[in-house]
Amino acid sequence: MGSRIRENVRHLFECFCEVVGPQPNGADPWIIQKFPDSYRDEEVLKSVPKFAFPCQFDNSNIQHYSFVLTNLDSKWTFGFCRHDPKSETALVVLSFLPWHESFYKFLNIICELTHNAHSDDLWKFLETVYQSRVPEPGGTLQVPTSTSHSKFVCQCPCQFSLPSIPENRNLTEYYNAVDSNNMMIIFASMLYERRILFTSKRLYRLSACVQSANAIIYPMNWQHIFIPVLPMVLVDYLLAPMPYLIGVPHCVLQKVNRHDMGEVVILDADNNSIETPFSDLESLPQDVVRELKAQLKNRAALLGDGVSRAFLRALVQLIGGYRDALKFHQGESIKFNPEAFVESRPPSMQPFLRKMLQLQIFQQFIEERLDMLNAGIGFSDEFEMEACNYSDKTSSRLKQQYKEWSYTMRKEGTAFLKSVKSKANPAMKSAVKHVKERGKDVGKAYKGIRSKFKELPTTAHGLSRTDELHNGGRTAADRPHTAAFYTASSTYKRDLMQSRNRNSSASEINHTSFSPLNTGHSSPDLSPLDMDLMGDLQDVIFRNCSALNNSPPQSPAVDRTLKPVRSLETFPGGSSLASGSHQLTADLLGGAADDSSLLINAEQKWITSHMQAQPQAPRIPSIKVPSQFPSAPKQSSEHNLIRLDSTPSVEDFDPLLQRHDSSPLNSPPSSPATPPAQPALSMANPLYPYFQPPAAAADHDLLKEYGLDFNSLSVQRTSAATGQANWTKFD
Amino acid sequence: MAREYDHLFKLLIIGDSGVGKSSLLLRFADNTFSGNYITTIGVDFKIRTVEIDGDKVKLQIWDTAGQERFRTITSTYYRGTHGVIVVYDVTSGESFANVKRWLHEIDQNLRVVSRILVGNKNDAPDQKVVLTEDAQRFADQMGIQLFETSAKDNINVEEMFMAITRLVLRTKKELKERPTDTVIIRPRQKPKKSKCC
Repeated sequence: MGSRIRENVRHLFECFCEVVGPQPNGADPWIIQKFPDSYRDEEVLKSVPKFAFPCQFDNSNIQHYSFVLTNLDSKWTFGFCRHDPKSETALVVLSFLPWHESFYKFLNIICELTHNAHSDDLWKFLETVYQSRVPEPGGTLQVPTSTSHSKFVCQCPCQFSLPSIPENRNLTEYYNAVDSNNMMIIFASMLYERRILFTSKRLYRLSACVQSANAIIYPMNWQHIFIPVLPMVLVDYLLAPMPYLIGVPHCVLQKVNRHDMGEVVILDADNNSIETPFSDLESLPQDVVRELKAQLKNRAALLGDGVSRAFLRALVQLIGGYRDALKFHQGESIKFNPEAFVESRPPSMQPFLRKMLQLQIFQQFIEERLDMLNAGIGFSDEFEMEACNYSDKTSSRLKQQYKEWSYTMRKEGTAFLKSVKSKANPAMKSAVKHVKERGKDVGKAYKGIRSKFKELPTTAHGLSRTDELHNGGRTAADRPHTAAFYTASSTYKRDLMQSRNRNSSASEINHTSFSPLNTGHSSPDLSPLDMDLMGDLQDVIFRNCSALNNSPPQSPAVDRTLKPVRSLETFPGGSSLASGSHQLTADLLGGAADDSSLLINAEQKWITSHMQAQPQAPRIPSIKVPSQFPSAPKQSSEHNLIRLDSTPSVEDFDPLLQRHDSSPLNSPPSSPATPPAQPALSMANPLYPYFQPPAAAADHDLLKEYGLDFNSLSVQRTSAATGQANWTKFD
Repeated sequence: MAREYDHLFKLLIIGDSGVGKSSLLLRFADNTFSGNYITTIGVDFKIRTVEIDGDKVKLQIWDTAGQERFRTITSTYYRGTHGVIVVYDVTSGESFANVKRWLHEIDQNLRVVSRILVGNKNDAPDQKVVLTEDAQRFADQMGIQLFETSAKDNINVEEMFMAITRLVLRTKKELKERPTDTVIIRPRQKPKKSKCC
């Protein structure tokens, strides 16, 4: 859907034509011979000579370039051309496959054979190639020619591999002709779907640059007019009011009245200069631009797929969060919620992302991914891969931040990081297995949970009350601030940072403020909040237990619930509740109880009673609250992590990590993945809109990539409205 | 050199492939401009100059291939245009459904762009599935005019194109009086436009 490359291509090429150039007497170029003779697409055949000789051009060297034809389905046909100054004709191969390097080689061999004494050789060779199977991704096709010294080797590019320098001729040319700043401007202009034209005196440079500019917005595809080489006869098409990306030979551009074209971005690839009436690069989120710039500066790293990857990473930062905005309602297909998409990202990006929603390239990207998900197709490509890597990168950047924090906290954070990293994979692997086996169902369940997280109004409700509780006797001024959590989900980060900076003293405060809760709803105004919180906890516990009991239908839900626990547990010496819950999980998981913890009677009773109400009456964990020492929970937190991560989870579903291993706690992959609606609901709400335990701030993205967006319980820590600096750095 | 026209309007014609956009264009356009590129570069346009109330208006009507693959056609597509001719096939309910969705999208994001709804192939009553009343109700709801045309029998085609041209002309004149409102649809009429999106 998003791609404009045809699938299920039957022949390596559709047609070979030899085209005679325009004659001094004014005769138009024409096709002198073609293969196969059965090729009858008259419209295409009429166009080929125009595109093979688009205008007067410098033909002093052998050059290869490609043009693109677009059919009524807006799919592309590539025309690969070879011009030789010694020949009056151009060789053209039409193919649905964009394999430039292979087809340029193909043209060279054809050229060799045309000069061969045995004219039959060429046709035999073409026939063989035409009848050969199109190689699979990563595979090669080898066709010997009659001349012993040459052999046609056609390599199908590996699936999802990014264009790299110098293997990819187009990108190499683009990179050589256009500096990185101008590449970024073009990239930005494409993200605004401008009318963009490239110009050059050299056809090969023109087509290479246009092709590469499109390749660089991967995983998106240019959805609009796309003409890498515009023949003179079509010069009026530059007046099109719609977005376009057109390569205009220099002499063609001179024929057009600039004023008539209106607002258009012009890249002169010969002079590495850009004219643009817009300031699109400046309008991109600047942290993304800064990072992109930095990556493109490191020239040594740009060999290989460095350039492609730099742009891909920028796109990951911009749109990688689309997964967080996928929604599922029972009985319906997975949908994309644009508002949730925008709001899942930091405020600095939101204005741009709002515009992004208005892009056809983005719409089609989302449609494509939804189609795959709804069809039960797992997908794994470089984009999803980078989305995962991104979290790692963010983590390491966050590690820097840790240095500003207390030693203990830093230590905790790193420990957490490590354990998450090392433990996370099994869950993903098993999730992948799940998805593969369960296909659609799992995906749906996954979305279902997620949508519930996001959509429940009670979520915000529960949070706010929690928040107030934790604010306790603090200034009322804190409240409006905390209330803002729900509107911008990223706000939590700031608060968490603050609470982080407050250090251990803060945790003590939290602890104290929380004590009413522990003593069993002693304060009337606190009790409703207490209920909410506990409801979630209970839910978590219940699910956790049921997971242990291997109750099949709950596997996805279980993971959901477990994750919040993990996040809580990452508070270094966090509030008693947080540590309590983490402790609790540890216990549930059979982890050792922390002797230094206090027993929270009220909590336990409450949970117990609720759990008993549940059909499966799981074993009741001994709920202990660790002492106020921040370092206390560390060990058990590792326990938790192991446990948490090893649980199979649909939301942990990451198609990229395909190792199949299942930890002992995995519920059987065959277990139905449908989440029980009710529990998922209740547990989901307070947890979602925020998430970011201070110690685990670094893992925000890693967690997110697993689909973990909860964290209601961290509210307590975020209540203090102290310094708000730095929080944007996290994205 | 005197201008051949007083106004140049760029219009878009949208609708599923097969609803008869090309036929409508052929009916309406000057015969002098020939060439059918929609099958080879995915875009085509036709030109005609008309006179409305003494104003010479040059129309460029643009068509692109494969629009039906878009669930929504986003606002960037319409950014440089003055008016949109939205065509469905009265014998195809699906084409009408697409058109409804697209119009809603335009309505949400580009309220100022002139639009007109066209039910083409209105020449085989026994095959008609999109009832005039339904289409009219929808058009009223969107606040736009509906024309049922037949490019084949040349029914209502001229009237329809003249109607959209009038609409665009009127909008242009209105906007001239209030130039600050031109942000969305008329980049080219506002000399210094800092933002466009």
